[in-house]
Parts: sequence; C-alpha cells; structure tokens
Amino acid sequence: MAARKLEEINAGSMADIAFLLLIFFLVTTTMEVDAGISRNLPLKRELDPNVPIPDVHDRDILIIMANSRDELLVEGEFMLIEDLEEKVRDFYLANANGQDNNQKMPEYKRVDGNTIQASLAFYKNLVENGPKDQAEINREEMNKWEKRKATFDEIGPYSEISNSALIQLKNQSNTSYGLYIQIQDVLKKVVNDLRNEKCAELGWEEYKSLDPIDDRDKIEMLQVLVPERIIEAKIEL
Amino acid sequence: MGKFNKGKARSVPALGTASLPDIIFMLLFFFMVATTMKEVDMQVDLKKPEASQAEVLENKDMVDFVYIGFPLDANEGTEPRIQLDDQLALDYTQVGPWKLSKQREGATAFDIVTSLKVHEDVGMRIVSNIKEELRNIDAIKINYSADVRQ
Repeated sequence: MAARKLEEINAGSMADIAFLLLIFFLVTTTMEVDAGISRNLPLKRELDPNVPIPDVHDRDILIIMANSRDELLVEGEFMLIEDLEEKVRDFYLANANGQDNNQKMPEYKRVDGNTIQASLAFYKNLVENGPKDQAEINREEMNKWEKRKATFDEIGPYSEISNSALIQLKNQSNTSYGLYIQIQDVLKKVVNDLRNEKCAELGWEEYKSLDPIDDRDKIEMLQVLVPERIIEAKIEL
Repeated sequence: MGKFNKGKARSVPALGTASLPDIIFMLLFFFMVATTMKEVDMQVDLKKPEASQAEVLENKDMVDFVYIGFPLDANEGTEPRIQLDDQLALDYTQVGPWKLSKQREGATAFDIVTSLKVHEDVGMRIVSNIKEELRNIDAIKINYSADVRQ
C-alpha cells in the first residue's frame, strides 16, 4: 500500500482573517494628506522703553487689511483678491533695477564689500561693547550681515530691497479664515516665484527642488535676496 | 465502463478559494501603506480652505494639531469651538497649557510645529488669540492647514 498523501491545510478561513484585518485598517485609518502653509510667528521680546523704535518709511510698508465683510483694502485702496498678487509683486520689484523710480515702493540698496565690512564691524563692536540687554538683538543683526556676506562671497555685489521693507496684515475679528489663507497663499506664491526667478538667474535648480539640508546655503542666500517679512497687527475690533 | 458516460451527470468541481487570501492580503497591504492612523475623533465640522502653495506636512509625530470649527454636537452651540485631542476646549487659554503638556523628550515647545486646522468660515479673532497664546510659550512654528489646490 502506498503512503497516504499528506492532506492540504484548509486555507478557506485565511480569507476571513485577512478580511478582518482589512476592515480594521479601513476603519482606523484615513487617506488624508496633511498640507498647509508654514509660518513662524515673531518671538516675544521685552522691549526697552528707552531705546526708540526705529523709523520706518511709509514706502517700506505694504498694508493689507481685510475687514469683517471680507473686503480687502491694500494701501488704503479697495482691491479684489485676484489683483493682490500683482500688487505684491510690484511691491518687491518696482525699484529692483536700483533707479528708485517709484517713490511709493521700497528702495533697493546696493550691497558691496565695503558696506558689509563696515556693518559687520559696527555690529560686532555693539555686541561686545554695547549695552548688555541689547546684545541679543545686535547679535541677530550681525548674523544677518554675516548671511549677506556669504551671499556676496558667492554672487558678488547685488542689490537688496530696503531692510525695513515689510508687509503688514490687518484683520478684523470676523474676517474669515478662508480669506486670510488666500492672502497668505498669495504672499507665499509671490515670494516663491521671485526666488524661483532668482534661481534661474543664477543658474541653480528650481527653488522647490532645493533640499532643506543639502542646499541650506543656497536657501539662506535666497532668503537674503528675496526676504519674506510679514508682520501681523493685533485685531482691534 | 465506457467512453460515453451518459447515465450520470458530472458535478462541477468546487471553485478554488486558495488564492482568495492572497488577494485580500494584497488589498490589506495597499491600505496599510496608503493610509495613516486617524489622529482623533472629530468633534467639530471642518472644511479646510484651499491654497495653491500648501506644502505636505512631513514628520507628523513632531506636530501638534489644533482644530477649530463648528461643533457637531448641537448641545455645544453654534459658535466656533477649539478641539484639543479628543475634547472641546472651553476657550483659547487652554491651548498654552495643553501644548506644554504634550512636549516630547528632548524637544521644547519651540521645536514642535503647531498645525492649525480651521474651518474656512471661522472668524480670525479665535485664530489670532490662539496664535498669541502660542507665542507666549515660544511655540512660534505654525502651519496653517489647507488643501492643495491644483
């Protein structure tokens, strides 16, 4: 008599087990991908009342107001959200050629070896010999100039938008979050586009494809060349 | 014995089910890879705004989520509410202590991104209050959650 063939293990119930697992995962997980716009809030600072707040020229600030009825007021003029991108671009580029034609938009300043040398020495002296409670702020200024120096070393003299050029966002308490995000989106888009154009100008790869770790130098240089300075006013109403 | 067995009808062999588990397992693995665990049970209604420049949020373990939307439970009223983890917060002042209580080892509040997931119709006051609260504890890295617009 021949040896009996080993009987196959019944795999019919395996499907049921797998089904159970499958249903468990379907229930407990989501397909959602989290995306969003990243921003840093300004650090909280104790301000010394004796140190005067530096003057900021009107031309250096772009004020974007959104009211409770979701209407936009840019530099005191009523504007549709569709037109905001062009306005912000203009804010950055109006005087980019260095000729200072448009007195209502921020000035561009030439940055060369001499200015960097002088400013670095100035802030270094302030950090070491200036008032101790201001040392932190002065050190930050010095770091900014060191970044400018790195940029200068890489690409030579360049022109930079005024140090105090900034965009101010003002909201009211019933301004919808949707509109706020639309504004933030426009601001991000303009800066991303401009940095992209700078990349093309310098023969680098696209801004988006720069790696935050490997290409850190390049990203820091782009932050110097196209700064993103946004401040948000407290809600008054 | 004969070639033509007309007398007895032959039964159809049973359908092979041995490969069924394999198919189900494939589905299972697909879902395991393509999805992520739900963070919380939603207590508020969320319709996120869209943004063309939204970037995908990496490393979700190092992110805290704050949800602001209209409560799903009618007993909670119709005003926008803040949801922290699985619960509705009473007001924005709870956000700071909550954020501090969630700190990871070796990281400060400064290091952990806070993702604000806000319904697009919510007013800016509540958002602004939360941002101020986060600023007070140096948690300045914010991500405004938005769906990617193509």
